[in-house]
Amino acid sequence: MSEVLVRGGRVVDPSQGLDALRDLRLRDGVVAEIGEHLEPGDGEIVDAGNAFVAPGFIDMHVHLREPGQTHKETVATGCAAAVAGGFTAVACMPNTQPTLDTPALIAQVKRLAADAGLARVYPIAAITRDRAGVELAPFRSLHEAGAVAFSDDGATVASARVLRQAALYARDVPGVFISHCEDADLKGEAVMNEGERSMLLGLAGEPGLAEEIVIARDLLIAGDTKKPFHIAHLTTALGVELVRFARARGFAVTCEVTPHHLLLHDDAFVRFRADAKVNPPLRTPHDSEALRAAVRDGVIDALASDHAPHAREEKVQLLADAPVGFSGLEIAVGAYAQALPGLPLARFVELLSLNPARILGVSGGTLRIGAAADVTVFADRPWRVQAARFHSKGKNTPFDGLTFPRQALATIVGGAVVMEGGSIRSRAKTNRE
Amino acid sequence: MRERSLLDLDDLTSDEISYLMQRATAFHANPPGRDLLRGVTVVNLFFEPSTRTYTSFSIAEARVGADVVALPPGSSSLGKGETIEDTALTLAAMGVKVIVTRHPESGFPYRLADSFAGHVINAGDGSHAHPTQALLDLLTIWTEFGRLAGLKVALVGDVLHSRVARSNVIGLRRLGADVTLIGPPTLVPDAMAGDGVHVARDLDAILPQMDVVMLLRIQRERIAAAVLATLDDYGRSYQLDARRLGSLASHAIVMHPGPYNRGVELTDDVLGYGGWRYAQQVSHGVYVRMAVLDFLVNGRA
Repeated sequence: MSEVLVRGGRVVDPSQGLDALRDLRLRDGVVAEIGEHLEPGDGEIVDAGNAFVAPGFIDMHVHLREPGQTHKETVATGCAAAVAGGFTAVACMPNTQPTLDTPALIAQVKRLAADAGLARVYPIAAITRDRAGVELAPFRSLHEAGAVAFSDDGATVASARVLRQAALYARDVPGVFISHCEDADLKGEAVMNEGERSMLLGLAGEPGLAEEIVIARDLLIAGDTKKPFHIAHLTTALGVELVRFARARGFAVTCEVTPHHLLLHDDAFVRFRADAKVNPPLRTPHDSEALRAAVRDGVIDALASDHAPHAREEKVQLLADAPVGFSGLEIAVGAYAQALPGLPLARFVELLSLNPARILGVSGGTLRIGAAADVTVFADRPWRVQAARFHSKGKNTPFDGLTFPRQALATIVGGAVVMEGGSIRSRAKTNRE
Repeated sequence: MRERSLLDLDDLTSDEISYLMQRATAFHANPPGRDLLRGVTVVNLFFEPSTRTYTSFSIAEARVGADVVALPPGSSSLGKGETIEDTALTLAAMGVKVIVTRHPESGFPYRLADSFAGHVINAGDGSHAHPTQALLDLLTIWTEFGRLAGLKVALVGDVLHSRVARSNVIGLRRLGADVTLIGPPTLVPDAMAGDGVHVARDLDAILPQMDVVMLLRIQRERIAAAVLATLDDYGRSYQLDARRLGSLASHAIVMHPGPYNRGVELTDDVLGYGGWRYAQQVSHGVYVRMAVLDFLVNGRA
């Protein structure tokens, strides 16, 4: 019998239209009771005074690097970063070494996550074997092993024929197709957005067109095949319009944006350092403004960090050689609030919890009685990003040193408090005792 | 405190650019002797083949009396996985005071300068900058006209991939010249237009108004990359030939950073044109580089 009482917080749960001061009793891994002034039991008490209590945040786009690149991150360190940032669950991309394209590898990731005993981990399996864009991955077996979605991630499926066949073949297998939209040929050797900035710096740039042309293709394939598609990390104003178009036609499509595309632009390349190198690249102020507006007007379904940790010695290389991406889990909640001031809290929670759960078809996203006791407690308290103190092995972020207005205070997974006030406690260790 | 470097022309004020041009002119008239950089160790760290810039720097370094070490391309441990900061630390620990560097990646000299406790001179980085080339170009124009303000300068050809063009645009704008970039949109994108920088497509319409025409090297690889059709097709629109030379104002000069492709961006007629200033550019390069070395190490005279 384990019990946790989350006391004195403003409970924001759009799944049941709740936004009120309530206490929350969690018992045996599920939500047991919501009410005003609940009597403390014999369990732990989490003080949520002057804070918000929400169904656990789910980051549906992270890279955990294991197996194969454990110098960048492990499932355990990635999960520590997740719960430190207020996330009770993450969905991890299959661009590991080897690629997550067999049931055994999916099972391995889930076992590593269980051993870590922190966040829930939902593996995303590849669409094509070895993400090579040629042969189809075994969708049904991958689903049965625990894969919740399918994506070739940064290795965009180049052939429209292969992607269409995959979507048709996998239509009756649960699991959305997640599209990282970049045409490799149009991208070429680009290290940043193509525009005035790339021309001033003499750097190869990727036009927004490289992304939009694939978004359009994948949305049309979604419409044609009736397979649900999720467009990862939208970056351009026109990309938003394409999603709007597809949705107006009734296609089953959803989409996400990242903290960096909401907040940063292609002027972030300080002295040719690679801190801000990411795929797709940071675009223009016009684009990020359009993304922020799209979050507010409902086109965007989810916020996702694209947490992509790398070792320091990799990221300090020259722009052309340095890998793309940076750690995002531990800055995400603060960065979203910074990008979207005044966004109604119910919408904030919907974007971070309810919608990712629905898109992925996983539990969570709600605090209804009997639901899994995954809870995020957060507050509007300014804090300063200190990348050197990340739990993630990747200490790189273009946001280092900035102050953000919102932070996670406690993270509860399956009724166990795994993060409180920044310190982390594994469920696995508790269970062993 | 970080020592002063020359990474691009925006590191210099317009006043400093004028000073360097005057100083170079003075060195040309009266060689300064070999005491200016006596005891100063300079390393030429070139990661890309270079004949004229490398030779020009070597001569300039000798004429100001520096101790020069040349690291030929491929010899650096950077190729063996050493980070830029470790290379910088190593050279500084040996007492190296100045690094002159060329690199195929845009931005390399900036990354080096951020770690190096000495002066870095950019001798060309990727498609980004080539400040000493721009200084010698500015000096050539200044020597010709006695000013830059108000002059109309055309840069013709592959501006997008040209570090020479980029640095020249900065310097020309800083000194008040009016710049026109000319070429097809794959080589001169619309987005290159800016304050005092025009983008044009019709060379024939522009030529009669120009005081200075700077031709840029066309690289044949651009054809395989599909940014250029045939050289003949390029030439129809943008090659400087006898007919187009005839449309120039009588005082107009023609320049090229070299090496030039005869029969591509220019015909041999240009080499016999009275306003062809290529030799002056090359000559000015040595004195400009002497002036830059002296300025960075010793400050203004």
